[in-house]
Amino acid sequence: MADSEEKKEVVVETLFPEIANLYGDHANIRYLKLCMPEARYVEDALSEEPYFAAHTPDMIYMGPMTERQQELVIEKLRPYRERIEELIKANVLFLITGNAMEVFFDGIENEDKSRIEGLGLFHYTAKRDMFHRYNSAVMGRFEGMTLVGFKSQFTQSYGDNGAEFLYEVTKGDGINRETKLEGVRRGRFLGTYTIGPLMILNPDFALYIQRQLGAAEPHLVYEQAMRDAYEERVRQYESTEFVLL
Amino acid sequence: MAKRTARFYIAMLVGKLAYTTQRLLGMNATFFPGKLALQICPDFMGQVGRPEHLIGVTGTNGKTTVSNLLVDLLQTQGIHTANNRKGSNTKAGVACAFLVNATLSGKSKNDWGVIEVDERSSMHIYPFIKPDYVVCTNLFRDSILRNAHAEYIAGIISAYMQPDTKMILNADDLISSGVAPDNPRVYYSISRLPSDTETCHNIINDCQICPKCAAKLSYDYVRYHQIGKAHCPNCGFASPVPDYEAEVRFERQEMILTERGVPQIYKLISDSIFNVYNQVAVTTLLREMGMSPDELRDGFSKLHIVDTRYNKTKVGGIEVIDHMAKEHNPVACSVVFDYLSKEPGTKEILFLLDDEKLLENMTWMYDCDYEKLNTPLVKRIVVPGNRAKDQKLRLMMAGIPEEKIVIGMTDEEAPGYLSLDGTEQVFVLHQCYKPDLSHKLHQRIEELIRERGA
Repeated sequence: MADSEEKKEVVVETLFPEIANLYGDHANIRYLKLCMPEARYVEDALSEEPYFAAHTPDMIYMGPMTERQQELVIEKLRPYRERIEELIKANVLFLITGNAMEVFFDGIENEDKSRIEGLGLFHYTAKRDMFHRYNSAVMGRFEGMTLVGFKSQFTQSYGDNGAEFLYEVTKGDGINRETKLEGVRRGRFLGTYTIGPLMILNPDFALYIQRQLGAAEPHLVYEQAMRDAYEERVRQYESTEFVLL
Repeated sequence: MAKRTARFYIAMLVGKLAYTTQRLLGMNATFFPGKLALQICPDFMGQVGRPEHLIGVTGTNGKTTVSNLLVDLLQTQGIHTANNRKGSNTKAGVACAFLVNATLSGKSKNDWGVIEVDERSSMHIYPFIKPDYVVCTNLFRDSILRNAHAEYIAGIISAYMQPDTKMILNADDLISSGVAPDNPRVYYSISRLPSDTETCHNIINDCQICPKCAAKLSYDYVRYHQIGKAHCPNCGFASPVPDYEAEVRFERQEMILTERGVPQIYKLISDSIFNVYNQVAVTTLLREMGMSPDELRDGFSKLHIVDTRYNKTKVGGIEVIDHMAKEHNPVACSVVFDYLSKEPGTKEILFLLDDEKLLENMTWMYDCDYEKLNTPLVKRIVVPGNRAKDQKLRLMMAGIPEEKIVIGMTDEEAPGYLSLDGTEQVFVLHQCYKPDLSHKLHQRIEELIRERGA
């Protein structure tokens, strides 16, 4: 297919859905399919060459995975590091959730100080503590909207994301317990520990993603039910003292 | 067993006193005495007398049923066991079971023990009690807050399993069959069923890539989630060859269990595939421990699965069914939804899968097959509680028409929102820790049926 023809349709690429599918976050893309059925959805298997290697998708999504699988994914993507950097610079939309974000970091440090080198695209280090799981709700401000979600992870990340955080947390923690700055954002690379699924818990975020993809008429399937659940959650979060679960 | 210390004897005395006091007060006494004993003597489990034959049972789903079956079946053969069936399967619960089973001097009163072990508690239990055998039924996604993912749990069990413990493993589960890889092991399996499929019909399958080389696995057949038979076209890795393989004949209510080439016929004690797995696990273990096929057949003939998680009554032609659906466990809930969807008859569902905590993580809903509930036979779903709006959205995403979903009431008010008109079954789906509530609502539904019938 010629490049000019390819551009006529929106292409959403999901990286490694056979493993990067923990914590219900795969439903981000299931929901996007309901809202934008006209887009083309490409799924890359771990054993195949990623679609982005030879094409430029409109969006790349990757969700949470196990720790062992993080290492597999890093090694899978390492040969494509420059290409990923090129795509970020070319303003391709990335939505990277949960510990998938750590794949793009400098590295992941285990409790015994051994280190897994990441892709080195973002200068942060994730530190694992496999005996203490961090569970929390989270709320913050992103592009004028209130975002809500959850965190459930073994890691805390360190590094200065002051110039490239995704959103400012109003309740809960950012990339570690000492900061209110959550995630990373560079151009249209959106990375966050927040799970939810984000696009289902946050109707305006789902509209934002559709607008980023150039949807002619962004809309929400099951909008009323979605907004009712969202407003209830925001009300509950605002009136509840946040504690680690 | 470690040498008994003065602390141990004090712990034993105080623990026994606490147990007796709690029992006199009408309490269960299945946790606190053990907790107290461990506080006084942290090595209590290492010093307390251990039954000569000790069995551990673990896994995401089925461990309670397998433990209960073992206790009951051994009882039919005149064998009394130390067990924690009435109590907790964590460290303090297991310590309590050993405390109750021991004399004041610390000696075990019973020669046999059956201990259900919470997977996360492996590190606090196996190094101390050193079971002779451990049955691991399966490993699936469970509460993401506690258990993260199945691979994490498999790692914990493997790390703390004692080297001499013989593992009884489900060959049809590529995750749990790989735990404690250096331990002696025996595999059981259920051979292909007519209902098995070529591809997975569930949202999640946590074993899609080869555990050895990471190539895409090829499934010969899938039963549910990752349960089935698979091989790796790249490196030759495959599901383990079972030592015990059951051919299930539901129509004859029996299974032919071929053990190392020799077939034995056993009567099934349940028609649910999940309980057949539990029965096969029990049979495999007890055959390994030397019980004869005739003794097993005799035992099974005296047993049925007492399922406290399931209670059915019939009033005015309507069946009212309480069914536990472990909240935050997407596989357990999917299994219940699947079972419910296959039951004949029009039905209404009271959905008590709510969270007490407002901040509770509900992402499990999107791993769970709510789509199974999207059948014309499900007429109405009544959802009370804090998370009702989340549940409604999830049910709608499963394709269930909005008009079938009713929300906006308290738990106690919920039965009043059932239509009961032309309904043949009412399911009350409740969480582990809400049996009392479900019992109360069950009774209220029965009253409503009688009132409306009148």
